[in-house]
Amino acid sequence: MFPTPIQKASGPTRLAYQIALPIALVIWLFPLIGVAVTSLRPASDLAAGNYFGVPSSIAFENYAAVFRDSPIGWYILNSFKVTIPTVIGAVGLSCLTGFALAVYGFRANLWVFFAFVAGNFIPFQILMVPVRDLTLKAGLYDSTLGLVLFHVAFQTGFCTLFMRNFIKGMPFALIESARVEGVSEWQIFRHIVLPLMRPAIAALSVLVFTFVWNDYFWATVLVQGQHAMPVTAGLYALNGQWVAAWHLVSAGSIVAALPPVLMFFLMQRHFIAGLTLGATKG
Amino acid sequence: MAEVSLSNVKKDFGAISIIKGIDLEIKDGEFCVFVGPSGCGKSTLLRMIAGLEDITQGALRIGGRDMTKIGPSDRGVAMVFQSYALYPHMTVAENIGFGLRMTGHDKAEIAKRTTAAAKMLQLEPLLDRKPGQLSGGQRQRVAIGRAIVRNPEVFLFDEPLSNLDASLRVQMRGEISRLHQDLGATMIYVTHDQVEAMTMADKIVVLSAGRIEQVGSPLELYHRPKNLFVAGFIGSPKMNFIPVEARPHNGGIEVTLPGGTLLQLAGTLAAAGKMTLGLRPEHATATGAGDAVLPTKVQLAEHLGSETLFFVSLADGSEIAVKADGLAPQRPGGAMQIGFPARACHLFDAAGNAVLNGDLTR
Amino acid sequence: MPTNSQPAGFWKRNQMKIAPYVFLAPGALMFLIYVLIPIVQSIWISFQDWDGLGPKTWVGLANYVELLDDDTFYVALKNNLLWLGLYLLAIPMGLAAALFLNQNVWGIRLYKSLFFFPFVISQVVVGLMFTWFYAPDFGLFSQAIKWLTGSEVAILADERYVTYGIIAAGLWPQTAYCMILYLTGLNNLNAEQIEAARMDNARGWRLLRHVILPQLAPATFIAMVVTVIGALRSFDLVSIMTAGGPYGSSQVLSYFMYEQALSEYGYRMGYGAAIAVVLFLIMMVFITLFIVRMIAQERNR
Ligand SMILES: Nc1ncnc2c1ncn2[C@@H]1O[C@H](COP(=O)(O)OP(=O)(O)OP(=O)(O)O)[C@@H](O)[C@H]1O
Ligand SMILES: [Mg+2]
Repeated sequence: MFPTPIQKASGPTRLAYQIALPIALVIWLFPLIGVAVTSLRPASDLAAGNYFGVPSSIAFENYAAVFRDSPIGWYILNSFKVTIPTVIGAVGLSCLTGFALAVYGFRANLWVFFAFVAGNFIPFQILMVPVRDLTLKAGLYDSTLGLVLFHVAFQTGFCTLFMRNFIKGMPFALIESARVEGVSEWQIFRHIVLPLMRPAIAALSVLVFTFVWNDYFWATVLVQGQHAMPVTAGLYALNGQWVAAWHLVSAGSIVAALPPVLMFFLMQRHFIAGLTLGATKG
Repeated sequence: MAEVSLSNVKKDFGAISIIKGIDLEIKDGEFCVFVGPSGCGKSTLLRMIAGLEDITQGALRIGGRDMTKIGPSDRGVAMVFQSYALYPHMTVAENIGFGLRMTGHDKAEIAKRTTAAAKMLQLEPLLDRKPGQLSGGQRQRVAIGRAIVRNPEVFLFDEPLSNLDASLRVQMRGEISRLHQDLGATMIYVTHDQVEAMTMADKIVVLSAGRIEQVGSPLELYHRPKNLFVAGFIGSPKMNFIPVEARPHNGGIEVTLPGGTLLQLAGTLAAAGKMTLGLRPEHATATGAGDAVLPTKVQLAEHLGSETLFFVSLADGSEIAVKADGLAPQRPGGAMQIGFPARACHLFDAAGNAVLNGDLTR
Repeated sequence: MPTNSQPAGFWKRNQMKIAPYVFLAPGALMFLIYVLIPIVQSIWISFQDWDGLGPKTWVGLANYVELLDDDTFYVALKNNLLWLGLYLLAIPMGLAAALFLNQNVWGIRLYKSLFFFPFVISQVVVGLMFTWFYAPDFGLFSQAIKWLTGSEVAILADERYVTYGIIAAGLWPQTAYCMILYLTGLNNLNAEQIEAARMDNARGWRLLRHVILPQLAPATFIAMVVTVIGALRSFDLVSIMTAGGPYGSSQVLSYFMYEQALSEYGYRMGYGAAIAVVLFLIMMVFITLFIVRMIAQERNR
């Protein structure tokens, strides 16, 4: 354990640590707390210059107003329409590709793998013009399906890296044993490897959900109108309309941030397992 | 009928040659053990028979059929892995029945065979458990059960007992031998534990660096090792090797032991020269009785209770081991007269090949 | 048991050879269509003059030549380097936060989660938060500056500070990310090695430097990778907080490209593609380094 456990330190040091923890947390989350408080501040407070003090009342009506006066509910629905199919598609495809790359020693194996890995790192901008063009030509511009297809393809790169390493970590004898028993390759995938991939599938689902939910760039490139716009791009558009209406912007921000935050808290273990993939092995 | 026959089988990994030409006949129903030092290619050879590794060159026949290019599932073999390779998400019953289920056997048949296998291996109370809830020995039995249900003609085992503790190993050894008698199937068994090899095998194949050094029954290998490698590998404690001068003499062989003692051996020798005399520790005496008597100095004594293993140094400083009675009085630092019968001596020429085997059974 | 019907037999005999390609095909195809081919197309388009609709005209290196004469390009390039350099601060800051939180006291799990919070939030929301934070008149940060120095600064409207302001916003989630990487790394330290070092009287900084950090090297590597990528991908925050302004002073290549190709400045796809290619080449340097290291690791397996 490093640093030395605080339990071994002297009394005052321990106390200081216990006090420092919440203070550090408040400082660290200051922007967030500020926005959260503002989202509950009545408009009159802002008009009166009460930006920092205790709100004169707790204004849940800000949230009501956001949903009533703006299409944010619709945007959120769009985000779900993009995110959930992407999670299913990308995780599903990468189970297959990860299995192929982990289990078979075909000639191009490492090269295909590195292509997937390298694809993860490239700047989106190098894809922007052709992908937009492709989406337009396919008649999918300005639709959630257009976004889904791109996200599935792109996230498959990251997910493949993850799945492949995960399957490599399984004992290979499981697969060989099944082969000797006369089990076909597809059955091996379906009945042996897939059930054992559950933790990886959970981790990736949460991660991909967060990544795709939070995507802003592609939401602006592949979507123009309200009817397919995800909440990130929608929030940006609303920000333009609500000039200086910070209580509404704040409430909208909180609403937009909520689904991934909930996801994170519900599936924290899986989330962190996904993010720190490989961070501990040499 | 499931005899296994390999002819000139070779395996390369890239540019490295791992199996360098194996010719071997394993008879139907035989228990054949592959032994050899770590990395000599035992597992690789077994996996080639299973179909898990391609055969680079040569031919493999099982039950008379050419299996060289056939996939593992169609060879009629079952394999038990060192790590057991149990499917962690399936119960014992599901593990045992999985292969049958996947190959389209009907439920009743699967249940029947699973129960039979479980009964044979005393797994009945455990059928609903997952592998994680089993002890090492139980897992081992499940792995064997998974092999049994398929009624294979050939069983392949890759060091199946090496993850068990010593007493369990002895027990499982017995169970596998019994299973072999009950089923009468051909079994090929890889181990580097020579006690396993000696106790279980009908036929032992000693491998070294991808080649067969010798094939034979356990006692054949013990009494008539073809070369220094086999002589040193089979038997525990290891055979002593003593450098000697040997020459033809009076229709027999005369060797000069360290310190100048002369010893007459029966046998013939073409030419004189430096050779190696092989002597098992259990064939030397600590009492000085025998055809040759050597003065030595005790360096180390390992007291095992029933017997004592002495490590003694000869006149030229070379060390040999002597197995003596547990009550032998000698102590380290003291002198000891060792003796041994000429009948027990092996003689190996400069190339390491046996010129003479001290076969005590003759 | 063996089936003799021809198709099944063929499949059975060859499934080991065919199976990998069947498993690979759907994912690889998608990746090819949406990622690999577009890279090549972008490079191709960067040699064209194209408005996205009409015919393309081959202009050779003209887009690149124009780029070399474009002042905004240099501003963006300079800012990208600034991003890269300052973003790396997330690594030591994340390590410090991880060391601070790597204790076993009541409620520490919740603290760790809350510290990690910024990473989970969309960059759009982070951008809005910091815009509010920096807002002149009522932004908390501006108020603090005013209180400290007596003079007011509008961070996002000041050419001198704007990029630093955006980078600070980016560092917030990035530090959280690095922190979680290091927390996991710290969790998996080899306890015996640390105890041995403590017996040898190593403690504090020296223990960290010579025993802990080497063990954290894998975490550091991943932190480097994600931080470098994050820095070069900095699009969302720039777009949300300033749209490159004021007067293009907070431009970065990714936003500059987007602006040239898709915004009111006109649909200059060829020129945008050329900028993207430059960004891609910069990124390629790092990708190559990462991949080389990964290959070395694969070999050592
Ligand atoms: N897939 C492979 N690629 C390259 N070399 C391999 C491969 N598999 C095995 N080898 C090499 O082949 C040699 C024989 O390996 P094998 O596993 O057959 O040894 P073994 O006799 O079973 O040893 P042990 O007793 O340690 O299990 C070793 O030197 C090993 O490094
Ligand atoms: Mg082996």
